[in-house]
Amino acid sequence: MIPIIIDIVLRTGDIALAAVALSAGYSLVKFPNIALMQYATVGPFLAYLFASWGAPLVAAALAACIAVGLIAVLLNITVFDRLLKSGSAIAMIGSLAAGMLFTAALLVTAGPDSRHFDFPVEAPLNVFGSPVTGPQLLAVAISLAAFVLLAALLFLTDIGRCMRATATNPDLARATGIDARLVVRVIIFLSGVLAALGGIGIAVKGELNILMGQDLMLPVFAAAILGGLGNPMGAIFGALVIATAETLAATLNFGPLIGKAFLFIPANYITAASFLILVLALLFRPHGLFVNEVKRV
Amino acid sequence: MAETVLDARALRKSFGAHLVLDDVDLAVEAGSIVGLLGPNGSGKSTLLNVLTGFLAADGGQVSLRGSSVGALPPSSIARLGLVRTFQLPRMPSRMSVREVLLAANRAQGGLFDALVGRPTDTARTDDLLEQLKLAPVADQPASAISGGQKKLLSIAAALANRPSVLCLDEPTAGVHPSLREHIVAMLKRANAGGVTLLIVEHDMGFVRNLCRRCVVLDRGKLIADCPPRELTEHPRVVEAYLGRKVARPVVEVPA
Amino acid sequence: MSEFALHVATIAALYAMLALSLNLQAGFAGLINFGQIALFGCGTYGAALAFSHALGPLAGFALGLVLVVLVALLFARLGRNLGADYWGIATLSIGEILRTIATNEIDITGGAQGIGGIPALFDTGSPLSGRLILFAVVLAALIATWFAFRRLTQSKFGLSLRLLREEPQLAAAFGYDLDGLRRRIMLAAALPAALSGFLFAHYLTFVGPDQLFASETFVIWTMVVVGGLGSHAGAVIGAIVVQCLFALVPFAKDAFGLPSEFVAAMRLVLIGGGLIGFLLLRPQGLIPERIGGVRG
Repeated sequence: MIPIIIDIVLRTGDIALAAVALSAGYSLVKFPNIALMQYATVGPFLAYLFASWGAPLVAAALAACIAVGLIAVLLNITVFDRLLKSGSAIAMIGSLAAGMLFTAALLVTAGPDSRHFDFPVEAPLNVFGSPVTGPQLLAVAISLAAFVLLAALLFLTDIGRCMRATATNPDLARATGIDARLVVRVIIFLSGVLAALGGIGIAVKGELNILMGQDLMLPVFAAAILGGLGNPMGAIFGALVIATAETLAATLNFGPLIGKAFLFIPANYITAASFLILVLALLFRPHGLFVNEVKRV
Repeated sequence: MAETVLDARALRKSFGAHLVLDDVDLAVEAGSIVGLLGPNGSGKSTLLNVLTGFLAADGGQVSLRGSSVGALPPSSIARLGLVRTFQLPRMPSRMSVREVLLAANRAQGGLFDALVGRPTDTARTDDLLEQLKLAPVADQPASAISGGQKKLLSIAAALANRPSVLCLDEPTAGVHPSLREHIVAMLKRANAGGVTLLIVEHDMGFVRNLCRRCVVLDRGKLIADCPPRELTEHPRVVEAYLGRKVARPVVEVPA
Repeated sequence: MSEFALHVATIAALYAMLALSLNLQAGFAGLINFGQIALFGCGTYGAALAFSHALGPLAGFALGLVLVVLVALLFARLGRNLGADYWGIATLSIGEILRTIATNEIDITGGAQGIGGIPALFDTGSPLSGRLILFAVVLAALIATWFAFRRLTQSKFGLSLRLLREEPQLAAAFGYDLDGLRRRIMLAAALPAALSGFLFAHYLTFVGPDQLFASETFVIWTMVVVGGLGSHAGAVIGAIVVQCLFALVPFAKDAFGLPSEFVAAMRLVLIGGGLIGFLLLRPQGLIPERIGGVRG
């Protein structure tokens, strides 16, 4: 049981940051930004680059996150804001295209091979009888710290209140003197930072390659949609659901259900678990698990 | 007494804690023109949305010529002959005025009709465009014409749908007086042809000219049901529009 | 060299059918399908599965049609209560699920290795003349699709599609059954996509899951956006332009002595750059949609 829970926590950490970033961005700029998946790829590559120049890992990661946040703001101003005038679907296609350009840039500069962050190899720690590596703990700590900071920002600070007001009713917020554009930029910056941080979390406990973002895309969308797009805290819950489903699909023996001794879901189908949840969610709960509204037309 | 064509019973609708329709009953006779009045926010548009299926009611029933339509999607209700227009008609930007009017009449517009190459009957549409003085803008994008022309177009399109009951949401609000006459004439013609009209309207001149019966909503409740000339003496209507303590009349400015 | 030109022309024509199909959905009806390649895959696997069960091409085509009708109806059902962007994500994930199945059901689909050795449709003794005949068939299928779709979109049915795209609420107020419309569009668009897949399978003689990557869908999207959403001629020209550029990439690589990553990166730049560039600078595409074209 403990190993399963540890797997679920680790996997939730993988998905949750990018899902929160997606949902937070959507709350103010109403389109699903596919380029976020590439921010989660570019982040760790930049961190790797800065670390290879001799920067300590924490400084390298911090610099990479800030750089990606700035890229996110820049792209929003130059590309997505303009595309959004033609509709959210067009903006989504634009964000997908932007993602391709990131992949192309990484392909040419970093190449298709996987890399690892340099960590001294240590014996895994023992957590309730299960081995957990230092980098894994680090990744979980990064996620937790990010959530606490984000929650504090959203619910305790002025900018958070302005952001939630703007998300609920942009016109009213503007009328009350909130600088909506500034709020949007802060949130877009944060979404870039969160996505990059999520990517770094994945990279420190495994490897980094140019396909990370692509692999992340559907689980992250599934998590964000389950939590209700535009509800950043819901996305964490969505990530937990997806991680649980994936982990259980991978580890449970379904044999007894059909009267056989063993039946495991083939490993290759486990990634499809989140796709399937996504399709089911879109069929039955397109506005997330927490909203139960039926819109006609 | 003519038969009842549209019958709403005990309609309830609330948005969150706000009760917008509170047990509304409304029976509309075939061939009549009924004005639906009430102060801003009294629930007129919501009632129209619920009747035509664009909003699901929380309770109550709507029936059209005796059969219940409450659970149907808006498109099915429209196909059964209960058609509506919108207060602020939005028109497509990549379709011409003529194309919108053509699309409004669904006859022979199926996939099969298209594949066998059935020609589109444009003669009637062109006549209509001529009548409405929309012929000069017939080939312009439907979103590019004036607000009044959009209202005219949306009413003509609704009529091209051959409804038995037409619900209009402020058909002349914000429309230039010359166009307004067109709209009144068009509605009178349609009614003479047998179309029942339910009209949300603020303009009392328009209501007196067209309607012989008015129903008044206030805060989600039906407070009056009488001929238009009796409205000014109806105590609850006067109260709803003027308030208990306001001494001078509040004139509503059309949006 | 002429054989290479014939190859590029055949592939361009097959993609042009896919672009026409996507353009009918996205350009005319506003259905943002990110799983277009799955419709194509129904055709390829229809042909491949019939071959691996020792059935003829006719059975393969029929199987492809059955598969594509099922997928198209599933797509349409998902569109019932989803906004355009959500529907895009839904179709994308169905495409990925189908590709996962194709990759993993090794006993049926041959897994990642796919199914090879599918015979050419026209065995004339010389491979070149067989390919020429196939190209003629592909061209005829493309023209037939173009003609049929033009007929659809210039009719009143076409008007209802555009109304669904622009003002679905108005379409509902006019009494159009939006679910039924989506279903019909998906079916009409799915048929040529499956036919393209079927012909592709018999042309390449190999079918595999790598042909069904989501990125292939975005190649088709680029063709449609570059050509002009809502224009049949645009979709065809977009397909030709993109395929010709793709064909030139390896030559450029050799000419400048660039590393092999360059080919993959260049394809991404062409697709991504083409999409963003046109969406930002010329959103109407090379051949803009005609407004007011339906006059009877």
